[in-house]
This record gives sequence, C-alpha cells and structure tokens, in this order.
Amino acid sequence: MVACCGLIILILSPVLGQRSSDYLWGIEPLAYIATIMLLTSLLLMCLSYYIPRILERSVESANIDRRTTEKWGLLTQQYFELFHHDLGRPLRRILGKERELQLTFRAAKTEIHPEVQGLLDEIEIQTPSFRLMVSNIQVLVQLESPTVPTIQPVEPSQLIRRIVDRYTPLAAEASKEITWWSEPAEFGLVYSDGAAIEHILTNLVDNTVRYADEHIEIQLTKNLTDFFIRVWDDGPGIAPYYTQHIFDRGWTPEVARIEEKTSSGLGLFIASTLAKKYGGDLTVESVVEPDIDHHTAFLLSLPIKGPD
Amino acid sequence: MPNTILIVDDESESPIVNAVKRRLDQEGWNTQIIKPEGDRSIGDEFEALTLYTIEEKTPDGVLLDIRLGEYREDQFKGLDILQKIVNRHPKLPVLMFTQYAQGPDRETAVRGSLQWDAPVDFIDKLASPEEVVLRLRRLIGSTPDRIPINNYLYLDTNTKTVFVTMDETPRLIEDINGVKFDIFEELASTWYRSPGELVPFSRLERYFEGEEARGSLRVRIREIKVSLGKALGISLGASDLIINVRDQGYRLVPPKM
Repeated sequence: MVACCGLIILILSPVLGQRSSDYLWGIEPLAYIATIMLLTSLLLMCLSYYIPRILERSVESANIDRRTTEKWGLLTQQYFELFHHDLGRPLRRILGKERELQLTFRAAKTEIHPEVQGLLDEIEIQTPSFRLMVSNIQVLVQLESPTVPTIQPVEPSQLIRRIVDRYTPLAAEASKEITWWSEPAEFGLVYSDGAAIEHILTNLVDNTVRYADEHIEIQLTKNLTDFFIRVWDDGPGIAPYYTQHIFDRGWTPEVARIEEKTSSGLGLFIASTLAKKYGGDLTVESVVEPDIDHHTAFLLSLPIKGPD
Repeated sequence: MPNTILIVDDESESPIVNAVKRRLDQEGWNTQIIKPEGDRSIGDEFEALTLYTIEEKTPDGVLLDIRLGEYREDQFKGLDILQKIVNRHPKLPVLMFTQYAQGPDRETAVRGSLQWDAPVDFIDKLASPEEVVLRLRRLIGSTPDRIPINNYLYLDTNTKTVFVTMDETPRLIEDINGVKFDIFEELASTWYRSPGELVPFSRLERYFEGEEARGSLRVRIREIKVSLGKALGISLGASDLIINVRDQGYRLVPPKM
C-alpha cells in the first residue's frame, strides 16, 4: 500500500510539484519522499519474506542438534550399561568366592590367619566404593544428557534404611556407628526421584564413614514445603577455605595441598548437581579440631512436591 | 512350606548366589532354587517353573534375577516374570537382583509402573549377603519367633521371654517380663529389620500412662540393662546395649563379646 502510494507520488511529482509551487525545487521533496516510501516498503516486504524462513531454519537446525545430543546421550548411556555389566562380571566372581570363603570359615569355626582375614575384609570394604564409583560415572553421563527428571512418590526413610544397611557393616569394621531417625517417626511420601536421592545420600554417607571418628548420624525432617536430610559425623571437620570448593568438579583437599589425589573429587560435585537438578540444594557446615564440638554436617534439602 | 524363599537365577551355582543362599540358610530360611530342565528358550522355562512353584509352594518371598540366560530376548525376562507375579500374587514380596546401579530404561519403567507400596524391591547383585537378608526381612515384614541379638542372647516373641545361651542350655532371664519385655522387643525388632534405626520416645512411651512416661521409660531401660548385664556377666554402661540418641529416642546396640 505504502509502496503503491510512493510510486504514484513519484510519477505525479512533476505535475503536483508544479501545481503547488511555481518553482522547480517544489518537485524534488515530493520525489524524495516518494522514493523513500517506495524503498522502505520494498525493504520491509523483503524482510518479512526472508526473516521467518531464516528463523525457521535455525529452529530446525537447533532441533536436529538437540536430537543428535539426545541420541548421543542415549547411546553413551547404553554403552555404559553394557560396560557396567561386563565390569561387574569378574568382580561378582571375586566377591562371590571371598564371601563363600568367609561363610565356610565361619561355619567351620576355623581360626583364620589375620593376614588372610585382612585380605578378605579388604575385598568386602572396597566393594561399596567400587559400586559407587561405577554408579558415579553412570550418573555423570546422565547429567550430561538432556533428560527430563523422573518424579514419583518416594519414601525417603526407605532410602535411608537401604544406605544404612550397606554401610553399617563397613562402619562397624572401623568401630564406627551409624544412627538414623526421622521426625515425625511416620515420615510419609515425597515427590522426587528416588534413585537421585539414593545416589546423593550414598555419596554423603560414603564420605562420612571414611572421615568420622566414631559416630555418624542421619536425620530426616521436613517443613511445609521441603524435606531435609542431615548427614552428620564427629570427624576432624573441614577447614573453611576447603568448604567453599568442596562441591567443585574434581576438587579434593589434595588439589589444594598439591598432593596426589586419593579420590576422583566427583562424588560431592555430582551430589550437589543432582540436588539442584531436583529443585533443592546441598550445603555443608563444619567445625574443625581442636574445637571440642568438631564435626561436619551436610544438609540436603529438596521440595516435598518435586521440582517446579 | 513355612519360611521359604524361592531363588530364581540362571547363575544359581555361582559363588555370589551361593553366598546369599548360605546366609539365608543360616538365617533359618528354607531356600529353594529354580532349575529348569529343557531345550526350550531358557527364559520361558524359568518363567513357567517359577510361576508353577509359587502356586504349589506359596513361598514367603522370591529372589529374582532380571537377566535369565544369555539370549538377547531373555535379557529382561526377570521383569516379565515380575509383572506376572505382581498380577497374580500382589502381596508376595519379590526382591529383584539387578546388575545395574540405576537401571536401564526398561527396568526404570517397571519400577515406575509399580505401586509405591508394592512389596517389590531392587538390589544390586554386588550387595553383601547381609544387605540382601536385611532387605528381605523388611520386604517380608514379619518378625521371627526368635530374634538373635548376638551369639549369647535371644528373644522368644511367642513366649515373651529373653534367654542367655552362655551355657549349653539356654537360661531364662526372669526379670525381663511385662512392660520391660515389650520395650526390649520393640527395640530388638526395629534393630532386626533396620540396624541403626532409632526407636522414637513416642513409640516407647505408649507403654506408660501419665505425665511421667519419659521418666518411667528411663527407669525401665536401666532395669533391662542391669538384668541383661548380670545375666551376661558384663557391665553395661550408658553407651552399651541400649543407647539414648540426642534425646530423640533409644537404639539397640548388640553387645560385643
């Protein structure tokens, strides 16, 4: 419409200009205005034609990228599951033989040489660490893939029981004790991802069992919107300049001390990332020795009704 | 057949399953292993025999592997069998042996499709026999007639009595009866199913009436410890046998002897 008006004015400008003014310069402004109108309209027409097509193409290419990433993520997960299965086979054999031996010795009430007993115990002690390590890599692969969180009704007290089952014998071996409770005693259900909570807690308890002096406590509480799991130990505590990096990927106290790393530094990073993914948080509070009340407490908070 | 656990695993002769079987036997369970004999697809054989045995023997629980055989189609046969068990016997506790920490898609889908209170649980095949036993104890839910606290002490829930077995013949601890037995049983059965779990005051104070319930409970706990200490010939301090945790409740800690 504007383009048409511009064209008409441009054609008629010599006539209109001369009528409105006796001078020739009266024609020029009309011609300029008309040309500008004409060009602007043509430009707008071109833009309105090409921009949606360009946008459409970029959305399509983003979709292709997302599909490729998802496919890659899925493939990596599948490869890892195969790898996990194959990795487990020799370990199951070793563990099975060790457990059979332990039971045979116990049933026969045979005195075992301390070194042999130590070796058998070491296999058993390292198993949960191995399970956790493999599981950490698997969760890391999942975190890198654009997956949607799975939210289901979960009984958090059941998850704590499972982890306590696994770590109680190990803690007892090192003369440490795990106690846990929930307030209220009948805690009920929350909406979250049970596997994610279990994974976060396993990392926390695995750490705690390693560093506690004698006691480990796990407390489950809630308010109207969130539920909280506090994992406490009476260990020597973590210095404040360490706590600020404790959830960084690959960070371990040895990194700060420029020593050889004794762990991957992935556990707490994964735990913190998972907590945030499910709409919660993971924090740490610690009092270091020589304070008589030295301890470390990790607090996991998650929404009762799942992430928004 | 009372106290029977059915074990369905294609590696039933493997040391890891053997260790679990032995531990269950020690626990007093009757373990029955499913071993199909036939030329058909091994997964189908397992399915037919498992469902038949459940009908015939009505076991208390099933320990079921997810992968049954090396054939590709049998990779998740255990999950198919689980769905059939859940449909036909929704109250039968089933503990699934899995080799995946978080489970492949199909396993996750099955987990998700189950009722949250379905007596079905998943456990890593690398779990210790103790872990398997504890998980089964909770899934099955019932407490046995005899709860062993350690090698020298046990409770008989039928006769509501506590025995010391330091000599050849078990010796009855006469002092622990009535409310004292009820409190000790509450602590022992919680420990039996979930070691480390605290019994909150609210659950223990229900045995007393009046405002001084907490004080009465404290007195009874002290009396139980004195009686047991005397019977076992050891001195039980504040952090032995029954401990008070952060003023939240009590917890049983079997004495090391």
